[in-house]
Amino acid sequence: MSKEDNKENGAQSVSRRDFLRKAGTYSAASLSGAAMLLSNPKPAQATTNVEWAEHFQKNYRLMTEEEKQEALDRLEKRYSEEFGKEVTVDGSPAMDGVLFGYALNIQKCIGCRRCAKACVAENNQSRGDEQQIEWIRVLRLEKGQFSADDRDNAGYPGDYGIQVGGNAYKPAGVVLEGQHYYEAEQVPEKDAFYMPMQCMQCEKPPCVKVCPVQTTYRDPDGIVVIDYNWCIGCRMCIGACPYWARRFNWGEPSLPAEEMNPVTHYLGNRPRMKGVAEKCTFCVQRTRKGRWTACVEVCPVGARKLGNLLDPESDVRKVLETKKVFRLRADLNTYPKFFYFMD
Amino acid sequence: MISYRLFGSAIGLCLLAAASTAPVFGEATQQGKECFESRDGRSQVVQREIAPGTPNVKCSPTTSGVLWWGDPFDGTIPMGDMAVEADYTHEEAVVKPREPQIDKNKLLTICAVACHNGEYVPVPENKNPRPLKMHKDIVPDSMELKHGKGAIWCLDCHHPDNRTKLVDNFNNEVSFNQPQNLCGKCHGQVLRRWREGIHGKRIGMWNKGGKKRWWVCTECHNPHDIQQGDRTSGFAQLHPEPAPNLPKTMANADHERVKHGPGH
Ligand code: SF4
Ligand code: SF4
Repeated sequence: MSKEDNKENGAQSVSRRDFLRKAGTYSAASLSGAAMLLSNPKPAQATTNVEWAEHFQKNYRLMTEEEKQEALDRLEKRYSEEFGKEVTVDGSPAMDGVLFGYALNIQKCIGCRRCAKACVAENNQSRGDEQQIEWIRVLRLEKGQFSADDRDNAGYPGDYGIQVGGNAYKPAGVVLEGQHYYEAEQVPEKDAFYMPMQCMQCEKPPCVKVCPVQTTYRDPDGIVVIDYNWCIGCRMCIGACPYWARRFNWGEPSLPAEEMNPVTHYLGNRPRMKGVAEKCTFCVQRTRKGRWTACVEVCPVGARKLGNLLDPESDVRKVLETKKVFRLRADLNTYPKFFYFMD
Repeated sequence: MISYRLFGSAIGLCLLAAASTAPVFGEATQQGKECFESRDGRSQVVQREIAPGTPNVKCSPTTSGVLWWGDPFDGTIPMGDMAVEADYTHEEAVVKPREPQIDKNKLLTICAVACHNGEYVPVPENKNPRPLKMHKDIVPDSMELKHGKGAIWCLDCHHPDNRTKLVDNFNNEVSFNQPQNLCGKCHGQVLRRWREGIHGKRIGMWNKGGKKRWWVCTECHNPHDIQQGDRTSGFAQLHPEPAPNLPKTMANADHERVKHGPGH
């Protein structure tokens, strides 16, 4: 259990990635230099007091139970000090006999974005002007965008109505045509419908496939998780995800202590550091304890359902049995466990 | 990621000026602040501390909607007390009674007695619509109440002489706590789906044996304003939460507003 001997340098502000990069020419001077470079004008909350043990810990999946417990205790102590309240870091593994599935009624969603903000509050995303991260995006789609008159000139040649070769008018890099930044006085608007998107927890996740350090992986309950400590920030996963579900901490996350949610999970909403990727985990810190996700609880119209796909009595299973259901980009064979449905 | 996106053209520049102002995301705990669950004015909760540093709810600083639940079972009673015909044998179902919400200003208990006990207003002789003198805040024009496409009027749902109750179409009194017993008379399919748990909202625990809070019809829907504005869904319109920040390299989101088609 004892890593006490590693603890004397606990106050250094340097990430593991930087440490490894500089390991060749490592000296006290270069270390403090890195610390200077990394420290922002405002207090760098998530990377202060990182202990040596944290730099040298194994990939979470390879740790023994004992090592996991050490890592969790270490983090609880550090976060509690940093945020001035009692922070718990849970390491609950996937529950037996559970495979999480999500169903969203696209006909009900009113586009209020409360799910996106609830997610930020629950999952300790960075907020503010400098570095804002939201895992959920609500896309506004216009009704009736395609008409027979449009066909000829909008990428729909001939009499077949089949689009060939893409459409030069659509901005590259946008997964779906729609508006993320809509600012309506009132929602739902008359001529729009809304499509919230977040991590689909794919059965065959492309992000897992491309991660060079295998720090992102799929747990048995179907949740794709990230061990932030091993993320090298290469952003391969961001490029691989067809659903635009991953976010990157370009800057030091800004998480005010009084707003920080102290109930955290190692693989979920614990505070992140600069230079790591993050994403929706169906609130592992809640769902592995039986509670619904923050977005399910907050949606004012009940458009969101989450449950155990292996349980025929669960909400999602009932939705799959009785409603019209579709998945996004089913052609990519990623097998999302996030279903959209209609009444 | 986001920086791949096409930078906005200068068309319609003004539209997004407001969008780029950052949301103030703050004030985790503001004791006593009131916010609403689904319907502003009709599903209010008051913020308070349930444990040191943990509020029962977090309220949106921009729209006052509930943004986060610390305790989803706050103020609930066991579903057993409400006798709903549904299968909740494998869960512990609770519900929040509606009457305290509806009766916030003691409208039911005071007015129903003072005005609707037959002394100030005579019990109506028939159910035929007539212009309202009171309650115009709820139904601005009683002759235009579109619920049921004009086929129904106040007294089809509200008890004619016991104003603290609703009434179903067999003249049975229905509690404001259990509007589903009334709504379901016409919206039977919806009631069935609600009982199965795939229409409407549940919060709390997803797993078998867990505790769930069920939401009843009027927590989300307002039966009086079916035709409100130009809305197209069963929900009253409300102000959305602020848009995410624009990527640093993007001045506005005009590119999203351009219709991609002929003549573009
Ligand atoms: S950025 Fe993504 S792909 Fe790269 S190491 Fe981190 S999790 Fe893996
Ligand atoms: S909270 Fe519900 S209604 Fe609002 S945007 Fe999210 S899914 Fe849609």
